[in-house]
Amino acid sequence: MKRFALASALLLGMLVSASAQAVPPGYPADYQAIISAAEQEGSVAVYSATDSASADVLLKDFRALYPKVQIRYYDLNSTEIYNRYLSETAANAETADVLWSGSMDLQLKLVADGHALTHHSPESAKMPKWAVYEDRAWGTTFEPLVIAYNKRLFPADAVPASHGDLLRLLKERPQLLAGGKLTSYDPEKSGFGFLLMTQDEKYFPQFWELAAAFGHGTGRFYPSSGTMIERITSGEHLVGFNVIGSYVVLRQKKDPDLGLVYPSDYVLVMSRVAFIPKNAKRPNAAKLFMDYLLSARAQKIMANQAMLFSLRDDVEGPYSAAALSKELGSRLKPIPVDMSLLAALAPAKRLAMMRKWQETARAQ
Amino acid sequence: MIWLRLPTVVILAVVVLLPVGVVVYQSVLDEPFFSPAARLSLASYAFIFGEPDFARAFLTSIVLAAGMTAIAVPLGGLLAFLVVRTDLPAKRLIEPALLVPIVLSPIVIAFGYVVAIGPVGFASLAVKGLIGFVPWNLYSLTSLIIIAGLTHVPHVYLFSSASLRKLNLELEEQARILGAAPWRVALTISLPLVWPALVYSGVLIFFLGFELFGLPLVIGDPANVLVLTTYLFKLTNILGTPSYQLMAVVVVAIAFVTLPLVYFQRHLLRVAERYVTMGGRGGQSGPLRLGRWRWFALACIVAWLVIVIGLPLSGVILRAFVSRWGEGINPFDTLTLQNFRDLAEHPNLIGSIVNTFLLATVGAAASVAAYGLIALVTHRWRSRFVAMVDYLVLLPRSLPGLVAGLAFLWVFLFVPYLGILRSSLVGIWLAYSVVWLAFGLRLISASLSQIAPELEEAARIAGAGPARVVRDVTVPLIRFGLVSSWLLCFMIFVREYSTGVYLQGPGTEVLGALIVSLFGGGSLELVAALSVVNVVLVAAGLVLALRLGVRI
Repeated sequence: MKRFALASALLLGMLVSASAQAVPPGYPADYQAIISAAEQEGSVAVYSATDSASADVLLKDFRALYPKVQIRYYDLNSTEIYNRYLSETAANAETADVLWSGSMDLQLKLVADGHALTHHSPESAKMPKWAVYEDRAWGTTFEPLVIAYNKRLFPADAVPASHGDLLRLLKERPQLLAGGKLTSYDPEKSGFGFLLMTQDEKYFPQFWELAAAFGHGTGRFYPSSGTMIERITSGEHLVGFNVIGSYVVLRQKKDPDLGLVYPSDYVLVMSRVAFIPKNAKRPNAAKLFMDYLLSARAQKIMANQAMLFSLRDDVEGPYSAAALSKELGSRLKPIPVDMSLLAALAPAKRLAMMRKWQETARAQ
Repeated sequence: MIWLRLPTVVILAVVVLLPVGVVVYQSVLDEPFFSPAARLSLASYAFIFGEPDFARAFLTSIVLAAGMTAIAVPLGGLLAFLVVRTDLPAKRLIEPALLVPIVLSPIVIAFGYVVAIGPVGFASLAVKGLIGFVPWNLYSLTSLIIIAGLTHVPHVYLFSSASLRKLNLELEEQARILGAAPWRVALTISLPLVWPALVYSGVLIFFLGFELFGLPLVIGDPANVLVLTTYLFKLTNILGTPSYQLMAVVVVAIAFVTLPLVYFQRHLLRVAERYVTMGGRGGQSGPLRLGRWRWFALACIVAWLVIVIGLPLSGVILRAFVSRWGEGINPFDTLTLQNFRDLAEHPNLIGSIVNTFLLATVGAAASVAAYGLIALVTHRWRSRFVAMVDYLVLLPRSLPGLVAGLAFLWVFLFVPYLGILRSSLVGIWLAYSVVWLAFGLRLISASLSQIAPELEEAARIAGAGPARVVRDVTVPLIRFGLVSSWLLCFMIFVREYSTGVYLQGPGTEVLGALIVSLFGGGSLELVAALSVVNVVLVAAGLVLALRLGVRI
């Protein structure tokens, strides 16, 4: 009788522990508590600016890894994420468990305002230092901003190899891009575009000369990379400045006429920032998802199938920080995930910069 | 009936004033209204009214609205006359064809025009090949006004056709016998008789001019044309974090436009009895013979269809079936079905389609029932409340899409007990119904204005109670209005997006959200493929409905 009781207790114990997901390799043993709690919570709500098609591979993989934690994925744009999260939090209503957006300044603003949960992720140590902010916010990708151009219609000898080259091109051969053939982000309509402008101002001493060269109808400005790319491939515009590299690479699969240049003087790199809100209803599931995004497994998917450009140095793949570092080394200037991002949001400075942009690039 | 009338008006007022009220309240604060640091302040008004861009955008919006109305109303009325009252050939094909533009998301229509007649559009390149240059410029205020006007003809058509169906043929026949050409009959007899439909639709189209976003964004921006909605878009970004108080001020400015508009509308419709066409005497029904004008009329309509539907639709279809397009590419070299295959693999596709069509069929029916109730309640009611209702119903549309979504999120978040509806299709349906209230309602109002009082009085004299009169006399007489209202709501709900953007979640996504998400990600080929699927589904539904005898 005793032996039977012991045997069944052992069997039961094995069944119980087998039904909870195992701790990922390299994680501390007490991570099991988080996994069990997450499975109790049952789901994780993610507000994300990464479109569902691109994220699909990642979501399917997460489901395979933690089948008991359902992902509720909200595909929104970065302004919508900000608005929705703030309003729901103010009303004490149910909101996201993870916020994941490429609008780095808006994300860090929320963190600065005290919305982020501190989480000592087992993966933090493996991330680049500039991509982790006080264990409260993490960059997840490493996406370069590139120059894109139409191989079919733009002369190969004129393709600018750097920011300086672009300025020279606009000054010495203005007829090549006159009449709206150059395209870039509209900092007036896109917060991300404005952020890029502040970074360019930092790294390119002649930035305002470049902005002036965009004027008089040469430059056409849009709020999103996708629209820019569509119009470059159609030939409406010939060259795109500061286009998100991951989108260009994705499009190159369908359109071999789309060219890409990593500027030789410096390459800005953006990262999609994620954090866990303090008031998340399912903090353990959120931690699971956050650690997953930072894990080698997810980053490998980003570096290969999802083409999102992985961030971790130890992950190989055609679309990875490792591959880019090998090719471009110190030319890469990642935008750090820290409070320096908030400088772009200071109203006086922002308005002044907007006016300067309007007076140069928007001059008629 | 007062027991029904008063509560209906009160509920209407609450439902309209909640979303609009929270925005007005926001405009006099200096922080988001839910922030504990918010204080009353008129600083936002000072800021906005001091911005030269605001004045420029306001003026441009007025010009756009006026231009649009001037184009849409006469053409819509004329088209309705030709299709409904005359023996125009090929009616069965024209009717569904001309309603298609309403279904397409405006941003998709604009994109279709870019693919067709943009700087490197296939039509532009073809003409350039023939005569050496492109004689038109898609990116200009003029093009924007023309396209906006032409794409809103179907709205006016729906308004006018519902009223025209019930016209007594005798009046028009007498004019023809006396020798009037069909166009003269249309202008001097038929259209004046459906004056309420034209006034209502004119006012609504004018107001829609303030709400247009997709078209001005794609077609106006490259020409530095700024309208209030694209100005609002800029405002969300000007301070880095979205500034609700600044956006609210712009909405208040738009709301003020409703005052003169509705006043003007009431003034034009003062004398109600003039438009009665369904009187005590029976009338003959049958098409007016156009005679030798038949084919000319058909040719004009076909020309309109080509410009308004053919061009952008062919642009969208082309984009859906090619892997790439533009200058230097022969589209026949890049034909492919891959875009549709990619679309089929998109995670939320089927769910979005099902939700959207559920909202657009059952939801629209429920909306029309509500609109019908409001219309019937204010019908022949001599009371100040009717004036109040007239002003109230247009208010929700003063919230442009960018703000409407926020306003409804706030209503569902901060009004007690509404929270359960927040992430459900019912919540989205409610938001849609409130925003498009004036449009669905006025179609029914126009129909009601055609009923002679003696019909209802006769029923009362014969002993019927008020409810019976409504059920057996009034409602059957306005059935075209009800069906047209449903059709209009169906079309609008199919393409709607921004109003419910914050109310959606996994399981309640709609097509519009999918299109915007794909657009933002640059997958224009998937947007095109999805739009083609959308149009095919709706066209099929329309043809089926028409076959089954639904008359619009």
